[in-house]
Amino acid sequence: MLEFIGPASRLLFTLENILWINIGVFIGSVFAAIPGLTVILCVILFLPFTYQMTAIPGMMFLLGIYCAGGYGGSVSAILINTPGTPHAAATMLDGHPLSKQGRTKAALKIALYASTFGGMFSALMLLFLGPQVARVAAQLGTAEYFMVCLFGLTIIAGVSGRSMVKGIISACVGLLISCIGADPMTGYDRLTFGVGRLYLGLDLAVCLIGLFALVEILAKAELKPDALHLDAKKMEDSGVITKEEYKRMARPVLLSSLIGSLVGIIPGTGASEASWFSYNTAKNMSKHPEEFGHGSVEGIAAAESANNAVTGATLIPLLTLGIPGDGTVAIMLSALMINGLNPGLSLFTTDGDIMYAIMLGLILVNLFMLFQGKFLTRLFAKVVSIPQEILTPVIVIFCFAGAYSVNKNYFDVAVALVFAVAAWVLRKLDMPAVPILLGMVLGNMTETNFRRALLISNGSPAIFFSSVYCIIFLVLIVVAVGTIVRGKLNERKAAQAAGKEL
Amino acid sequence: MKQLIDRVDARLDAWGEALKGREFRFPSDLTAGIVFALAGIVMLLALPGQVTVTGGDVVDGRAFPTLLMGVMLAGCAALIGKELVKLARKQPIAWKTVNLLVEVKALVILAILLVTYLLCKYTGLFVIGAVFCALGFLVFFRCRKWSYYAITLALAAGIWCAFRFGLGVRF
Repeated sequence: MLEFIGPASRLLFTLENILWINIGVFIGSVFAAIPGLTVILCVILFLPFTYQMTAIPGMMFLLGIYCAGGYGGSVSAILINTPGTPHAAATMLDGHPLSKQGRTKAALKIALYASTFGGMFSALMLLFLGPQVARVAAQLGTAEYFMVCLFGLTIIAGVSGRSMVKGIISACVGLLISCIGADPMTGYDRLTFGVGRLYLGLDLAVCLIGLFALVEILAKAELKPDALHLDAKKMEDSGVITKEEYKRMARPVLLSSLIGSLVGIIPGTGASEASWFSYNTAKNMSKHPEEFGHGSVEGIAAAESANNAVTGATLIPLLTLGIPGDGTVAIMLSALMINGLNPGLSLFTTDGDIMYAIMLGLILVNLFMLFQGKFLTRLFAKVVSIPQEILTPVIVIFCFAGAYSVNKNYFDVAVALVFAVAAWVLRKLDMPAVPILLGMVLGNMTETNFRRALLISNGSPAIFFSSVYCIIFLVLIVVAVGTIVRGKLNERKAAQAAGKEL
Repeated sequence: MKQLIDRVDARLDAWGEALKGREFRFPSDLTAGIVFALAGIVMLLALPGQVTVTGGDVVDGRAFPTLLMGVMLAGCAALIGKELVKLARKQPIAWKTVNLLVEVKALVILAILLVTYLLCKYTGLFVIGAVFCALGFLVFFRCRKWSYYAITLALAAGIWCAFRFGLGVRF
């Protein structure tokens, strides 16, 4: 590891990278602060920009958006009791009450410090754990890789949405979409339906613009007129956090950072799960559990450190196995691969200087998030009040320009529109969209390894049960399915019981 | 002019009120199961014509999509079966309520997006589509603040400039 730190630092500490980190952090904070705009939407919108960049500035920009998005969501949660992003919901429980007590600035400061600590902790986890996991990944063959893909898809299909079966159907749709275009092994065209342009396949960024960004525009149809304008509270307090409060925050921040990192490593689980789990743990361990929900500093600190501690950890399965920890980092995979960087051990050896630059850059991202948060919080707070009338067309124009710029072709804009309509229909049918995204990202890898394994075994599926790693992943899949199904049954029982009580 | 806008607004409000109460429900899980089962069957039937294979391959280009459709059909069968069992046992099934006003509004938004796309494509000037899009949404939201029009149009032109001159995208 040490041999890469020097060259990686030289690659990282350039004016261009510092600039892109700061632009990313700024955009991420602003986007996440606005209710209704998610981090995934922001990453999708700005992904086409990175196609014109080299690997390090491109990844720094996207990581800046991703990490700052974790903090930005808390701004509107604290100011207007509306989480900017879903994972800021736990922060809202104590952040807004503290703001109502006249301590808005203090609440934002706690969120910022906790987010920074969680992010740094997670970045260090990635730095030290990433290469070790990559070494294990290097021992995996094609059959094992197929099982890894299956494991990732199973978890994501299971945890996204209400029904696991619907998640599996969505994942199949995503995998099928990835089959469109040239066969990865023979080069024959597949599922092009006579459209010559489809031979090259569908670009991930274009599909995601429709699936996640333009569908949100269609969803404006559900917007109530009074939701067009949100007024943020003014920050009039000094923002002082007492020594006693710092002491009380230390334990939940440390524990939640660990929880967040561990949750982040598991594919399919994300910041929301981490923040709720950490919030509950902090409440159970606190000497003042009665303060939770009424402006507890421990509550804000726990939720925020956990949701940012996910950021680095989700990159561990992504960079080592090619399995994205969540939907947002799945998109980042294409930014890496467009620069010829493929997940696995080679990323930590052959391309070690670039990889370590990115991992060290994640620490830098968190530092700049702290600086920007300290000096620009007032601006982020104002952004919360940007009216939807202005925001909506701006997002559409960004989507169209982004979709066009991928291949300089209006065909891609039409594809994005088709995906938007499809996503709208999927919403009506309560079908989750995230497994489709993961299916599209993992499609090529899953199919190639599936076919190669069968070629090696002369068509015998026994190869998928032949090695220790295959068995381990099979057991993991069974355990994961069992846990998810049990969780869903418990949820349903709890909902039924609540219904009866009402 | 103001009177005309007020009259249009009043007419739109009247239509909105009429549509607001119109809702219809459908069994979401059952419908999803049927829709995706049909899509899966169509895809399975289309596969031979859509995927060229050479004979003698141990595993060809059709194997993976066929496997996927098999899994998808099994999922759909499970979904439909579960809902039918619930119906037979007279247990509550998953329903989705669709509001007609929301759907009409979504169609209007889709129309704005389509016209924006067509304007961009057939004029070859992205900025024209961007300006239409900005105006279209401001009118859709019934915005009466002229400053918002100025800001949004400036931003539309700004985004075009950023892509055109900053990133070198010719459109």
